[in-house]
Amino acid sequence: MIKQRLLFKLYMTLWLPITVGCTDFVEMELPPSQLTGEAVFNDPATATAALANIYASLRDRTLITGGSRGIGNILAHYADELDYYGSETASLHDFTVHSVLATNSEVATLWNDSYNLIYACNSILEGLDERMSLPGGHRAQIKGEALFLRGFIHFYLSQLFGDIPYVTRTDHMVNATIGKLGASGIHEHLVHDLEESMELLPIEYVAADRVRANRFVAMALLARIQLYFGYWEDALSATDVVLGATGQYVWEEDLGNVFLKGSKGILWQLSPGTPGNNTLEALTFIFEQGPPTMGALSQSLMDGFAINDQRAVQWTKSVTDGTDIWYHPYKYRARGPSGSSVEHSVVLRLGELYLIRAEARMQLGDLEGAMADLNKIRGRAGLPDLAGLNGEELETALLRERRYELFTEFGHRWFDLKRFQKAGEVLGPLKPNWQESHLLFPIPQSELLANPDLRPQNDGY
Amino acid sequence: MRRVSLLMLLYIFLMPSCALYMQAGTVLEPPQATVSGTVTDTSGNPLAGVNLVVESKRIGTISGLDGSFSIQASPSDVLVFSMVGFKPLTVPISGRDKIAVMLEEDVTQLGEVVLNAGYYTVTERERTGNISKVTASEIEKQPVSNPLAALQGRMAGVNITQTSGLPGAGFNIQIRGRNSIAAGNDPLYIVDGVPFASDPINNTQTSGILGGSISPLNGINPADIEKIEVLKDADATAIYGSRGANGVVLITTKKGRSGKAEVNIHLNTTLGRATRSMDLLSTPQYLEMRREAFANDGIEEYPANAHDVNGNWDQGRYTDWQKELIGGTVHRTMAQASVSGGSNGTRYLMSGTYQRENTVFPGESGYQKGSVLLNLDHSSDDGRFKLHFSGNYVVDDNDLPAADLTLTSRTLAPNAPALYDDHGELNWADNTWNNPLADLESRFSSITKTLTTNGVATYEVVKGLMAKLNMGYTDTRMKDSRILPSTRYNPYYGADSRYSVVYKGIASRASWILEPQLQWQGRAKGLKIDVLVGSTFQQEGKEQLGLYGEGFSSNHLLDDISAANYIDVNRNTHDSYRYQAVFGRVNVAYQKKYILNLTGRRDGSSRFGPGRQFANFGAIGAAWLFSEESMIKGAFPFLSFGKLRGSYGTTGNDQIGDYQFFESYGLGGVNYDGVETLVPSRLFNPDFGWERNDKLEVGLELGLWRDRILLAGNYYRNRSSNQLVGIPMPGTTGFTGLQANLDAVVQNRGVELEITSRLWDSPKFKWELGMNLSIPKNELLSFPGLETSTYADRLVVGAPLGIRKLYLSTGVDPATGVYRFRDYDGDGVISAPNDQQWIGDVGPDYFGGIVNSFGIGPFALDFLFQFKKQQNWNYIFNGSYPGLMSNKPVDVLDRWREAGDNGPIQQYTTGRNTLAVQGFNRYGSSNMAISDASFVRLKTISLMYDLPNSNDSGMDCTLYLQGHNLLTISGYRWGDPEFTGGGRLPPLRQITLGTKLTF
Repeated sequence: MIKQRLLFKLYMTLWLPITVGCTDFVEMELPPSQLTGEAVFNDPATATAALANIYASLRDRTLITGGSRGIGNILAHYADELDYYGSETASLHDFTVHSVLATNSEVATLWNDSYNLIYACNSILEGLDERMSLPGGHRAQIKGEALFLRGFIHFYLSQLFGDIPYVTRTDHMVNATIGKLGASGIHEHLVHDLEESMELLPIEYVAADRVRANRFVAMALLARIQLYFGYWEDALSATDVVLGATGQYVWEEDLGNVFLKGSKGILWQLSPGTPGNNTLEALTFIFEQGPPTMGALSQSLMDGFAINDQRAVQWTKSVTDGTDIWYHPYKYRARGPSGSSVEHSVVLRLGELYLIRAEARMQLGDLEGAMADLNKIRGRAGLPDLAGLNGEELETALLRERRYELFTEFGHRWFDLKRFQKAGEVLGPLKPNWQESHLLFPIPQSELLANPDLRPQNDGY
Repeated sequence: MRRVSLLMLLYIFLMPSCALYMQAGTVLEPPQATVSGTVTDTSGNPLAGVNLVVESKRIGTISGLDGSFSIQASPSDVLVFSMVGFKPLTVPISGRDKIAVMLEEDVTQLGEVVLNAGYYTVTERERTGNISKVTASEIEKQPVSNPLAALQGRMAGVNITQTSGLPGAGFNIQIRGRNSIAAGNDPLYIVDGVPFASDPINNTQTSGILGGSISPLNGINPADIEKIEVLKDADATAIYGSRGANGVVLITTKKGRSGKAEVNIHLNTTLGRATRSMDLLSTPQYLEMRREAFANDGIEEYPANAHDVNGNWDQGRYTDWQKELIGGTVHRTMAQASVSGGSNGTRYLMSGTYQRENTVFPGESGYQKGSVLLNLDHSSDDGRFKLHFSGNYVVDDNDLPAADLTLTSRTLAPNAPALYDDHGELNWADNTWNNPLADLESRFSSITKTLTTNGVATYEVVKGLMAKLNMGYTDTRMKDSRILPSTRYNPYYGADSRYSVVYKGIASRASWILEPQLQWQGRAKGLKIDVLVGSTFQQEGKEQLGLYGEGFSSNHLLDDISAANYIDVNRNTHDSYRYQAVFGRVNVAYQKKYILNLTGRRDGSSRFGPGRQFANFGAIGAAWLFSEESMIKGAFPFLSFGKLRGSYGTTGNDQIGDYQFFESYGLGGVNYDGVETLVPSRLFNPDFGWERNDKLEVGLELGLWRDRILLAGNYYRNRSSNQLVGIPMPGTTGFTGLQANLDAVVQNRGVELEITSRLWDSPKFKWELGMNLSIPKNELLSFPGLETSTYADRLVVGAPLGIRKLYLSTGVDPATGVYRFRDYDGDGVISAPNDQQWIGDVGPDYFGGIVNSFGIGPFALDFLFQFKKQQNWNYIFNGSYPGLMSNKPVDVLDRWREAGDNGPIQQYTTGRNTLAVQGFNRYGSSNMAISDASFVRLKTISLMYDLPNSNDSGMDCTLYLQGHNLLTISGYRWGDPEFTGGGRLPPLRQITLGTKLTF
């Protein structure tokens, strides 16, 4: 009994102070698997990891991913590069037959995932501005890349959706009710971001295999942007600078080497996440038996190859089941894992730069110069030089060369048809649903509901 | 009450033999006379099994089936009659040799039913709050493996739906409606005094088939449950403070009873099948749809991928895919053994259960569960010191295919090829389809081990003052894996084991709780006072490790992730949660008529930022037992019990996940250029606090004719404010939501009615009828700035939270054959959001259950009908337009074919007619996507038979047959009406045969 009394006293003496005393019991630190924003930007390694998220997302899931949900595959079906053999209930069918609605979930994913990465860019930019403790060299490199990536993603969004918000901060109060900018406003922002990026980024690559942006990568993107927005002279001057950097960039004469990861003609490529893996593009496009289960190169594309065009031999491959024959893109050949990876996803390469310059020169009236650039491309493909074309013929030749050089790469074909106002002429006969309004994707309906300032919806949706 | 009558039943059928035995064994001393007679109840029915003792001699007997008794006693002796449920009666013999005795039913039965209110207990009679209870005898009548399934249809105000018919899947439970716009609506679960975290700990990457959630409540074996109590109103829940907003579910496991060791053996076997298949198109109907769709779209030459109509597939073939893919029979076997007993000082119960079942899918898959329960109680000789321990260990082993074939079975073309080719291999039909069985090559498996322990020490310091320490520890460990071998791919892809992928997850959650308490009880002059003070310290830690392996040298090595060419740790998280509180209760009862109950809690949670962790909650409850007033007693003699009660108070909700107030970066789980990526976790907002829920309730409880009929009616009104929401954000913010408090008020109010009546109560025939009905109403009361908020197009003030704003269909345009809709804004164009003004609500209008229990001799028959009046999404919602290569319900046959038709269904299309696609898409977001899904369901039927036992074996044997979901009456034709998750396996129809032995 006495023992029990003692126990009770002990119980009371322990309990009362604890109960009354400690309120910091419920205060908590972050767990080891999470870092505060502050900690991330105090260390070059973690700041780089925040940046790596954006590259990895672009590679694996967002916008330009080589997977089947990336614009490389979607726009190839939306335009005239790939014929669709897959299920009618898959979302790719909607793009193939041009019945994309404002409620389309793939479109919403493109939009939301892209702005999520833009948030990541802005979070890095604000983090670097607030915490000056990061060494200067790292600061400039990371900030330059974040600006470049922010411009890169906005550029694609503006091409897909037309007028869009250009988001430069993380503040959700501002971004929740942000309005759309017209083409000139977007252009102004893009140029501003890329010029600042070029100032910050060094000429050298910070990583092996050209998997992160340097100054020339930003400049090459700027050249493309200026071209798309009709600033030919600016496009021309930027291209001249990049093509002049012959110490770093060397024209690859062998078609079979253009997409190998060590090619000197590559400006920027995305390395696979798993060592020894290769590109998602190869997994998406290549099939080994017929009939195909998703996309195969369209009849019109295959029929249109010029005789002797070596790209038909090197960059496409046929598959037959004995009676029928199908073709798939074969720019990337390594499908699945190999001992060490041989190919990365090439985002920017010299071939496009020559085509940009050719187009800029053509638009500025330098037809000879334009033909010289096109001949650089044609020569590698085993085609004879062009000579003496008039303006109209040159435009046809340029569009055609772009089609055969850049097929199934990130929707180049679609953006070309759009830029040259040829989409209706080319796609009208192929797509019974065709409407001029299909030049732009619809703004996701969920977004119009969540932010009325994004209204009106694009025409036709 | 129900328990009492069940005991009686058992008593009556066991006693005749015992009575004989006792009579034979009673040795009496002369001079004695034989006294005989009959015992009846007040209505003259003979009472069997009444205990009868000669007061002076301490000897006795028991009345027989006809109520008769006979005993030797001296003429001056006094006989004492007693029986459970009746008032004891003392009868002097006074020289008589024949005595007729009438026992009065004990109207204080309600007083004997003790309810667990968590920190304290209260009698049914004296409770001021709203507490519903389900006992083991009701749980045992249904073949369920999750405790929540046992509550369906049995409690007013508790709405439960199953998320999948697969073993191990979860349940949605809402107690009195949806309080929170976005935070969790789960109640707080307490198992034997220890909070039981109900949120899944598994990694969603591994468990896709169960919709990403594996219910941790599977870690509690229903057969080990003594009772489940649900606390609903403020009076009962405010003592749980910040975690009581959505109600509290108290689960108590079985305890030992003192006496000779008793062994229980319980075996059963169950057969189950999927129910309510959809009436789909036959092959000719389907092909007609396809051809007509192509014709409508102006396509004459069928495209290469239209295998069903272009000649690649046999057009004469028909397969009932629902039968083929989800038509299997589930076999479940359950075995349980328990031993219980003890002395007055120490009691014990030990129970072990094993259960296994397979699935309806083709191939091998299954679910196994084993559990052990140990309960120990000890009290010191003087009864002042008591110790209780319970330990419960459950191993849950789930081995399922990685995909649910239900949706496939409803959409696959009826002329799709055979599953297997002539060689018994998966048939790929020249790459013209994805063989659905390839999904079964992938496997999901999980093993969850759950340990729940609880220790309670109480010590009576002085008379009336008790010190108590409640301690608990729970530990859940889970390993799961999803194995995706290369053989799941069409061999056409040429994939070998280098393409095999394995996900593995290892998760654990451990939680401890410490709750010191003091209880004091005092009585003076008709006043009874109960005081309780206590405090809580709780910590919960959760860890998850996720592994990803890719590329194996052989598919035989997939179980060993170290054999992968590439291994990535894609998740390694540690979360902790800490919680602290002080709480108290003061209960004052005056003359057993007037009762006042005050409860309160101050608590703090680590889920909130600095300065926002603590808050106060409390409630006041009162009851007036007006049937005790002499005036009322005189005026309404049939009224055996009458109580008016009410309560008002505040509770809170902190179900928002940990660390939400931090600005942080987490690991992305992928690698770029040799760097593991860091991803921004969320939009940053440190300034959010508790969600507050004010609850008001009034209730009236009546017992009529000696409690033969018990009526209870409640009205409640809960208002939830300071809403903790993930405010949906436009994508331009970078995220789709932001954690914040929103100045909106959600109201749940409703009426609940419960009736229990013993319609017939005689030894030969008993009939008990119970009914419960809930009529809930959910309403958004206010939302300042709704018009300009991101909720503008989702919520309407004055309407329930679960609404959807939809288009209003105006039928098919006879000219174009495309759906038309009302143009609300009159701008000539149908567009969202302006023309989505029709409000659809899929919440229940009312629901409830009807229980009938019959006892006929040794047979006991029970029915439970569950009913619900509601609307639900039909096949049009989330469906695809008719005309695609996807089978459809026969509803689509009634369609537009040519100008002038106005069939309810628009023209078929293969997707090339944008107007028709758009029309269908809007149709799917229109009033037509909602149908009446009210139903009446024979949820449970149970027939039990007590085998007559021989005199000396001492063995009691019960056989039973149970049915679950046997019959559903509903106008809803597109699957299970109750079920909200489209494309998942609905709850199964089951028949169980079992036996219980006690000796």
